[in-house]
Amino acid sequence: MLPLKTYIVEDSPMIRENLIATLEELVSIQLVGTAEDEVTAVQWLRLPQQQVDLVIIDIFLKAGSGLGVLRAAGGIQHGAKLVVLSNYATPDMRRKCLDLGADRVFDKSHDIDALISYCGELSLAPGTPVGIPSCPPSGPPPGSPSTGGRNGHDPQA
Amino acid sequence: MTMRGVVLRSPLLLALACVAAVAMVLTSEGLYRRSSAQLDSLTHGRAVRETIQALERSILAAESSQRGYLLTNRQDYLAPYLQALQDTNSALHTLDLHYSGAARPQALLARLHSSTAAKLAELALTIRLHDEKRDAAGIDTILNGIGRDQMAAIRQVSAELLAVETAGVQAGRVDLDRTLLGGRVGVAALSLLSLLVLFLFLRQATLQQRHQQELRRVTLAERDGLDVQVHLRTAQLTELTQHLQSAREDERNRLARDLHDELGALLTSAKLDAARIKSRLTALSPPPREALDRLAHLVGTLNSSIAMGRRIIEDLRPSTLADLGLQATLEILAREFAERSGVQVHCALAAVRLTPTAELVIYRLVQEAVTNISKYARANQVWLSLTAQPGSVALVVRDDGIGFDTSSKRSSAYGLMGMRFRVEAEGGTLAVLSSAGLGTELQVRLPMAVEGVDGVAGGGVDSGVDAVVPQALA
Repeated sequence: MLPLKTYIVEDSPMIRENLIATLEELVSIQLVGTAEDEVTAVQWLRLPQQQVDLVIIDIFLKAGSGLGVLRAAGGIQHGAKLVVLSNYATPDMRRKCLDLGADRVFDKSHDIDALISYCGELSLAPGTPVGIPSCPPSGPPPGSPSTGGRNGHDPQA
Repeated sequence: MTMRGVVLRSPLLLALACVAAVAMVLTSEGLYRRSSAQLDSLTHGRAVRETIQALERSILAAESSQRGYLLTNRQDYLAPYLQALQDTNSALHTLDLHYSGAARPQALLARLHSSTAAKLAELALTIRLHDEKRDAAGIDTILNGIGRDQMAAIRQVSAELLAVETAGVQAGRVDLDRTLLGGRVGVAALSLLSLLVLFLFLRQATLQQRHQQELRRVTLAERDGLDVQVHLRTAQLTELTQHLQSAREDERNRLARDLHDELGALLTSAKLDAARIKSRLTALSPPPREALDRLAHLVGTLNSSIAMGRRIIEDLRPSTLADLGLQATLEILAREFAERSGVQVHCALAAVRLTPTAELVIYRLVQEAVTNISKYARANQVWLSLTAQPGSVALVVRDDGIGFDTSSKRSSAYGLMGMRFRVEAEGGTLAVLSSAGLGTELQVRLPMAVEGVDGVAGGGVDSGVDAVVPQALA
């Protein structure tokens, strides 16, 4: 079982460190790099002979947008899984990300468990498509405004 | 300017006018009386002169009758003689009456009396001598010239009396002239005085009119100045309100972003930790059931915190407005209010085209309205309607609560006032209809967004992420 070569684009140091520690502990990953903004991330991903299995991308960055990273990564890193981890996972945003080539979109607050199990499955079979996760993303809590359109708009549902 | 005003303002003028009028009347009356008396005395003087002349004539008539009788000896000449005697006596009597009390003519009158008596005595003597056939003695009497002398004396006295009378008449005329002159001068003077009063009156009236015009001009200028001030202040207030509102929205946005970013990161971090702890616990054998239960509870608490955070953020910054559009956002707001308060909410929301700021105004207004309803109205049902009308959008929020007197102030009136300012700043109108016991109705009208304006109907389910991101990053 080879560790997943993982690149993380996340501007919050707290989340970044904690995410790395969690994934390293629970899933077998090998961190190959991190970025806090769009330009750094895209530049790194464009370096020749960069081979990554998984890119975890936040939408809101210090500068630029995770959407730009997604767009660039889709064209460069063939075979790498592109995962969006955002605090802004509205139905619109999910669709937009999926349109730009994201494999999965996870909500930072509700889909942590789903992200971990998704990564776990990836590490078991890197480079192969991952089936329906055992733990589907849970919906936002009652009262959340995004409740209104989620079920109808989430293509993953 | 009223007459009364003039009188009150210039009592002196009024007094002067009264004096002039009274003096005019008195002068004319005095003139009339004096000239009338003088004319009387003039007429009387003429009668006296005629009497004097009649006296002279009747003595001559008596003399000529006496002569006729002496010559013809016919009785019928005696009748005129006797008549003449009577006339003479009555003329003398008249003169006596006239001159009683006057000094100088009294002496003349005495001489007239004596001369007349002497003359008449001579006439009577000659007639008596003739009757006694003593004609020679009679002719002597005539020839001795006593009668002629007496006659001359009578003529002289008469002439003197006439002169006295003429002098009296002349004096009377002079007097009358003087009186008339005085009257003319007086009338002229009083006319001048009247003209002066009129002039003063007119001048005062003009002055007062000018004064009033000036006063009116000053008042108008003051009012215009106040109008300008009010407009200026209102514009400033509206501007300030807009500024405060946008500052408030900015602050809310900042707060929402901080909560979203910082609190979100903390909670995500906590959930990552929870995931690691859970993995460790599960790896133990046997798995500690109780610790796993506590952990599940902790995760539940974290989820509640996340939900609460999202609700607060949503309250602060209605991201659904941009994401889902006004209709859906209002529906969510209404549903949440209904769940929270137990009030039945009936929504009739049409798709409308508004600028993003107008949408935010509508959203905040409904927020304020439902807050007021839950605080004060004690309503069971609420009706919320949003309709598109030609050129404008109408929002109506109605409840069946206790209502209130719209003319009285209360704490939430400031909220309403703020909403009114916001609506007016967007070019719309707000009306509040309510009375005690009959519920409250809020009517808002906002201009429809012009097509082609940037950001119109921004958000909505179909809008792209690009429209969302700038709003979220703002």
